[in-house]
Amino acid sequence: MPGVILKALTKRYGDVGAVDGLSLEIKPGELLALLGPSGCGKTTTLRLVAGFLAPEAGEIWVGDRCLSTPTSVVPPERRRMAMIFQSYALWPHMTVAQNVAYGLRFKPGLSRGDREARAREMLRVVQLAGYEARYPGELSGGQQQRVAVARALVVEPEILLLDEPLSNLDANLREEMRFEIRRLHETFGITTLYVTHDQAEAMVISDRIAVLQAGRVAQAGTADDLYHRPRTRFVAEFIGRTNVVEGVAASRDTVTRGTVRLRVASGELEPGARVVLSIRPHQLRLGAPGDATDATNALRGTVRRTAFLGDTVDYEIAIAGSDLVLRAAAPPTPRFEIGAAVGVRIDPAGCVPLADGD
Amino acid sequence: MDRSIAVWVGAALALVVLIALPLGWLAYLSVSGEHGATLGHYREAFADPALQKALWNTVVLAFWTGLVSVAIGAPLAWLTARTDVPARGLIRGLVLASFVTPPFLGAFAWVMLAGPNAGILNTLWRSVTGAEEPLLNIFTMPGLVFVVAIYTFPYVYIMVANTLALIASDLEEAAAILGAGRLAVARTVTLPMVLPALASGFILAVLQALALFGSPAILALPAGFHTVTTQIWSLFQFPPKVEQAAAFSIPLLLATALLLQVQKRLLGRRGYAAVGGKGGQRRTIPLGPWRWPALAACLLVMSAAIFLPYGVLAKGAFVRAWAQPLSRDNLTLGNFAFTFFEYGSTRAAIVNTLELAVLTACVGAAMVALLSYVTNRRLVVGHQLVAFLVLAPVVVPGVVLAVGLFIAYTRPPFVLYGTLWILFLAYLTKEMPVGYAQADATFRAIPADLEDAGRVLGAGRLRILREITAPLAKSGIIAAWCFIFIGVIRELSASILLFTPSTKVMSVVIFDLKEEGQFGAISVLGLVMLALTFATVALVQAALGRDVLGARR
Ligand SMILES: Nc1ncnc2c1ncn2[C@@H]1O[C@H](COP(=O)(O)OP(=O)(O)O)[C@@H](O)[C@H]1O
Ligand SMILES: [Mg+2]
Repeated sequence: MPGVILKALTKRYGDVGAVDGLSLEIKPGELLALLGPSGCGKTTTLRLVAGFLAPEAGEIWVGDRCLSTPTSVVPPERRRMAMIFQSYALWPHMTVAQNVAYGLRFKPGLSRGDREARAREMLRVVQLAGYEARYPGELSGGQQQRVAVARALVVEPEILLLDEPLSNLDANLREEMRFEIRRLHETFGITTLYVTHDQAEAMVISDRIAVLQAGRVAQAGTADDLYHRPRTRFVAEFIGRTNVVEGVAASRDTVTRGTVRLRVASGELEPGARVVLSIRPHQLRLGAPGDATDATNALRGTVRRTAFLGDTVDYEIAIAGSDLVLRAAAPPTPRFEIGAAVGVRIDPAGCVPLADGD
Repeated sequence: MDRSIAVWVGAALALVVLIALPLGWLAYLSVSGEHGATLGHYREAFADPALQKALWNTVVLAFWTGLVSVAIGAPLAWLTARTDVPARGLIRGLVLASFVTPPFLGAFAWVMLAGPNAGILNTLWRSVTGAEEPLLNIFTMPGLVFVVAIYTFPYVYIMVANTLALIASDLEEAAAILGAGRLAVARTVTLPMVLPALASGFILAVLQALALFGSPAILALPAGFHTVTTQIWSLFQFPPKVEQAAAFSIPLLLATALLLQVQKRLLGRRGYAAVGGKGGQRRTIPLGPWRWPALAACLLVMSAAIFLPYGVLAKGAFVRAWAQPLSRDNLTLGNFAFTFFEYGSTRAAIVNTLELAVLTACVGAAMVALLSYVTNRRLVVGHQLVAFLVLAPVVVPGVVLAVGLFIAYTRPPFVLYGTLWILFLAYLTKEMPVGYAQADATFRAIPADLEDAGRVLGAGRLRILREITAPLAKSGIIAAWCFIFIGVIRELSASILLFTPSTKVMSVVIFDLKEEGQFGAISVLGLVMLALTFATVALVQAALGRDVLGARR
C-alpha cells in the first residue's frame, strides 16, 4: 500500500491560485482528511491527485511513481485510484450490479462471472445484498452512497479519494456513514484522501487532518494536535471554538494585556513581542470571586450571558479591569447567573501562543 | 492542445462556408457599385416608396403578431400550467400541433376558409344571413396578423408555461400570508416573475413574423401589399436586382440581431433565473364555475389554429371542388392521383425533401452533438466562442440567408447554385441553432462526474464516451435529429430563393401549385407534410419521454 506525496502543487484559475504551493504527505494506509472552508481548494487538490487536472507547478508521487508534473500527467484511468463523488455519480443507465462491476472490466484476467461475484460480495460488505438488479434511481440517498462506496472499493484501488461524500445525506444518516466509512477503512486499509468542510466529520473519520487555507496547508496533524496545539489563528478558530487574546510578552512565559497577566506553559516567548493566545473555552475554571486571587492566571469577571447546553453551560464573561470578553464552557454546577461576579482560573498549559496574528 | 487545433480548424471551415461567406458577400454586394464602394443600393432601396411601404407593413405585421400572440399564449399558458381547466393534456397537445404546423399551410387553409368569395365560412355566412358581403376577408393586414399569430403564439406559450411551472406556489403563498389578496398576489408576485418570459415570448413572436415568407406571400400579395421578405423575393424575380435585395436584407438582419440581444438581456436578469427553487410545490387554482367556459375559450383558439384548417385541408384533399358541400359525387381520390402521378414535379420534390431532410438531420445532429460535447466539457480553448458561433445563425432570417448563399455560391470557386447542396447548406445553417440548443441541454443534464467516475476506475476517454456518455445522450441527440428534420421538411423562406426546376422541394411545389390554383393537390401535399411532421414529433416524444414543449411530465 503506497503513500502519496504532494510537492509544492500549484493550480491557478485566471488570477486565483486555487491551489497555491501545497505540500502534503499521506502515509501508506492512512486516512487523511483535507479540511477547510468552501472555496479553499479542496476539490481542486483532489482532482489534481486524481489526474483530471494538470498542475502548473509541483509534483504528485504515489509510492515511487511520479504521476503528475506540469509537463506530464498520467491519465486518471492509469492511476489505480478510485474516487467517491459528492454527487455519487452513479450511472443511471446501469443497474447497481453493473455500476459496481464496471471498474473490474479493466482488471486483466477476470471473467464476467468473477466480476459479478466480486460485485455481489462487495455489495454484501456495504449491506446492500439483494439490490443488484435495481437502478440507482430506485434507491434512497443513503443506499446510493453505499453503491458509490462499493463501486470504488471493489477495484481494490491503491488510493481512495472522497470529495465531501456525506454532504448530501441528512444528519442521522451522515453520522452512521461516518462510522461506516471508518469501519471500511479499517477493514481494507487503503490510503485515503478525504475532503470535507465539516471539522467534526474530519475528527471522527481521519487518522490525520490537513487544514487548508487559501490553497495551502495551514497545519497538518492529528485531531488532538490541531485542537490542543493549533499553530495559527485560522486553525484555532476552524477546529472547535476558542478565545483569541492579543497581548504583549512581558517575559519568556508571561503575556500581559492591560492589567491582565497570563502565564503560558511553553515559555519560549520573546519579551516585548506581540503575542496572540488561543484559549479553549473549557480551559476556563469558574469559581467564587474571592478564590485565590493571587494564584497563577486567576482573573475576576462578570457573567454577561449564559446558555444551558445540557452537559455544559456556556458563559460569556467580561474580565474585570480589561476589555476582554472570554467564553467559558463549564459544568452545570455550580451555576452562575447573569450579572454574578466570578473568579476565573486558566491552566497555563491551556494558553497556546499562535504563530501569526491573523 | 493539438485537439483544440483540429476542432478549431473544422469549426472555422464550417463557419466560413455556412455564415461568413454568404453574409460577407451579402454585405459586400450591398455596398459595391460599378465604381467602388457606394451606398447607392441602400438609397435606391429606401427611397423607393413601394419598398418603404413594405418596410412599414413588416413593422405593423410583426408588432401586432407579437401582441396577439401574447394575448393568446399567456392566458393559455396560465390556464394549463396553474388551473384545473379540464383537458389540459389535450390543450397542450393542440398547442404543440399549432407549433409544428407549417404556417404557410395554415395560410392556405385560411384562404379556403375565409377567402372573400368562395371561402367556406363566408359561404356559410351568406347562406345563413342572406347577406351579400363576406363576413371575413383573409386578404387583409388583420387577416394576415391573425393567420400568423395562431401559429406563433406557441412561442409565448412555451416561455410562460415553463416559467410558471418553475415558480413554486410557496412564493405566492408567502405573499398571501402577509395579507395580499388573490389579485394582489397575481399583480405583485406572479406577474413580475413571468414578465421577462412574457416579454421574451413577445420578442420571439415578433422575430417569427419578421422572418416569415410564406404567409405574407399567400395573403399579402393577392391583397396588393408587400412585406420585407416578399419584397426581397420579388427583387429576385427576373430580372434579378441582387444588390438591392442585399441592401434590403441588411436592416432585417440587424433588427433580428438587436431583438435577440434584448431578449437575452431580459432572460439573463436575476430573479428570473433564480426561480427554479427546490421542492416547491405548484398547486392548481380551482376555477369553479369558470372551468368549462375557460375550456371553451381554449378550444375556440384551437379551432382557428387546428380544427378548421386541418378539416378544410382534409376536405380539400378528398373532394373535387373544395368550396362545394361534402356529398357523395364530390368525393374523389383524384387529387392524390393528380398530385403523385400527373403533376410533374411532385414526386421528385418529395424525394428531394426527404433526402435533404435526412442528410441535414444526420450531418446536423452529428455536428451539434460533437460541438455541444466540446463546449460543455470545455475541451478546447475558447469553447465559449464556439457556442456563440453555432448559435449565431439564429439572427439570420431564412430569406436573408438565402440571398447570401445565392450570391456566394453562384460564382466561382464554389458554384453550388442549381444543386441540392446549396439547399443543404441553407438548411444546415438555419437548423444548427435549434439542434445545438437541444444537444447542449442534453449534455448539460449529464454531469461530468459520471464520466470522471469511469475514468478513475480505469476506462479511457473513448471508452467512457461509448459506454457512459453515448447511452445517456442518445435520446437527446435523437430529439435534436428530429427537430432538424422537422425544420427542413417545412422550410420555405430560403428554399423559395434557392431552388431551380431540378431541385424543387415540397414546400416550393406547394407554392407553385398556388399559382395554378390547385388547392386539391396543395391539400394532399399538406397532409403528407403534416403526417411526416407528426410522425417525427411522436419519435421525439418517445425519445425524450416528455412532450416537445419542454415542461416536465
Ligand atoms: N473550473 C474552475 N474555473 C474557475 N475557477 C475555479 C474552477 N474550479 C474552482 N475554481 C476556483 O478555485 C477555488 C477553489 O475551488 P475548489 O477547489 O472547488 O474549492 P473547495 O472544493 O475547497 O470548495 C475557488 O475560488 C473556485 O472559485
Ligand atoms: Mg469542493
